[in-house]
Amino acid sequence: MLNLGIDNLWVVNLFGTEIWITRTMLNTWIIMLVLIVLAVIVRIKLRSFREIPTGFQNAVESVIEIFENFVDNTLGEKLRYLGPWFFTVFAFILFSNLSGVFGLRPPTADWGTTFAFALATFILIQIVGIRYRKMDYLKNFFYPNPIFFPLNLIGELARPISLSFRLFGNVLAGMIMMTLIYSLTPKLVQIGLPVFLHAYFDLFSGALQTYIFCMLSLMFVKGASE
Amino acid sequence: MNFNIDPLLSALPEGRVFALDKQTLITIVIQLLNACILAGILGFILYKPVREFMKNRTGRISGQFNDAQNKLTEAEALKAEYEKKLAEIELERIKILEAARVSAAEKTRDILAEARAEAEMFKKRAAESIAYEKERLQKETRLHIIEISSLMAAKFVEKEIGTEDHDRLFNEAMAQLEEASWLS
Repeated sequence: MLNLGIDNLWVVNLFGTEIWITRTMLNTWIIMLVLIVLAVIVRIKLRSFREIPTGFQNAVESVIEIFENFVDNTLGEKLRYLGPWFFTVFAFILFSNLSGVFGLRPPTADWGTTFAFALATFILIQIVGIRYRKMDYLKNFFYPNPIFFPLNLIGELARPISLSFRLFGNVLAGMIMMTLIYSLTPKLVQIGLPVFLHAYFDLFSGALQTYIFCMLSLMFVKGASE
Repeated sequence: MNFNIDPLLSALPEGRVFALDKQTLITIVIQLLNACILAGILGFILYKPVREFMKNRTGRISGQFNDAQNKLTEAEALKAEYEKKLAEIELERIKILEAARVSAAEKTRDILAEARAEAEMFKKRAAESIAYEKERLQKETRLHIIEISSLMAAKFVEKEIGTEDHDRLFNEAMAQLEEASWLS
C-alpha cells in the first residue's frame, strides 16, 4: 500500500497533553545521533591532529574552513558567532535530505521540521535586527509610509513560511517520486533506475535545497543587521 | 508528573503528510528544541574545538613566520654589518699593503742609495787604489827606466866619456829627476 504520510509511532501524554511521536521525530533523533557520533569521533581524533593535516584531519578541516569562509563571506565578521548554528542547520538538513538514500523518511519532508528551522531563522532575523539596528530596524516596518505596515509585516512573516515550504515541497516531491517508483513500477524497473533518481532527488536536489535554505537564511540575517 | 506512552499500534492516530493543528505545533516545538540541542552539541564538541585548533595553528604559524621574518631581518642586519666590517678590513688591508709597499719602496730606495754610495765608495777607493798603483808603477817604471838608462848610460859612458863628463851628466840627470819628482 502506498504510504506517503508521517507515521505515528507512539502517543505520549504529558501534563494531559497528547503528543504524537512521529517517524519524523524518530528519524530526526537517528540523524542527530549520527551527527553527534561523528562529532565525538572528530573530537577524539582532534587530540591527535597535527600541524600539517592529512587524510581524515584534512577532510574535517576542509569542511569547517569552507563553511566558516562561507559564513564569513555572507554574514561578515560581526556575525561570525552564528557560524555554529548555521553549521548545525546545514549539517542537519543535508543529512536529512540524504537520509532518503538509506530508506529513511527525510525529516525535512515534514513541514513541522522545515518550519522549525525557518522559525529559528525568523527569530534570529528579529534578534539580529533589533540588536544591531535597534529602532531603525523597527522603523523599517513602517517604510516608506506607516500605511505600508501591514504589507511589510506580511512580507516579514512570509519569509519563514516561504523558506519552510520551499524545502518541504522539494524534499516531499522527491520522496513522493521515489515512493511512487518503488510502489507502482514493476520489480524489474526497480533495478538500476532508482539509483539515478536517488542521485537526483536525494543527493543533487537535497544538497541544492540545503544550500538554498542556508544561503537565504544567511542573507536574511545579514540583511537584518545592516 | 503525568507521563505515559500508549502501547504501539493501539489506537494510534493515522499518519498524514501535512496538517495545521496542535500536533504540528508540537512537532515544530520539539524539532526546534532538537535543533537547539544539536546546535549546542555540535558547536561545543565539533565546530568550536576544530575552529579553535585551526585558529591556534594559524596563530602558531603566523608567530613562527613573524619570528622567521624577525630573524631574517636580524640576519640581514648582521650580514650588512659583517659586509661593512669586511669592507673595512679590505680597506685596512689595502692601506697596510700600500703602507708596506711605500715602506718597501723607501727601503729599496735606501738600500739602493746605500748600495750606490758603497759602490761609489768602492769605485772611489778603486780609483784611488788605481791612481796609487799607477803612481807607484810610474815611480817604479821611472826608477827602472832610470836604472836601465843608468846602466845603458854607464855602459855607454864607459865606452865614450870620461869620469868628469860622467859626473856632470849624472848630476844633471839627478837634478832633472828631482825636478820631475817634485813637479809630479
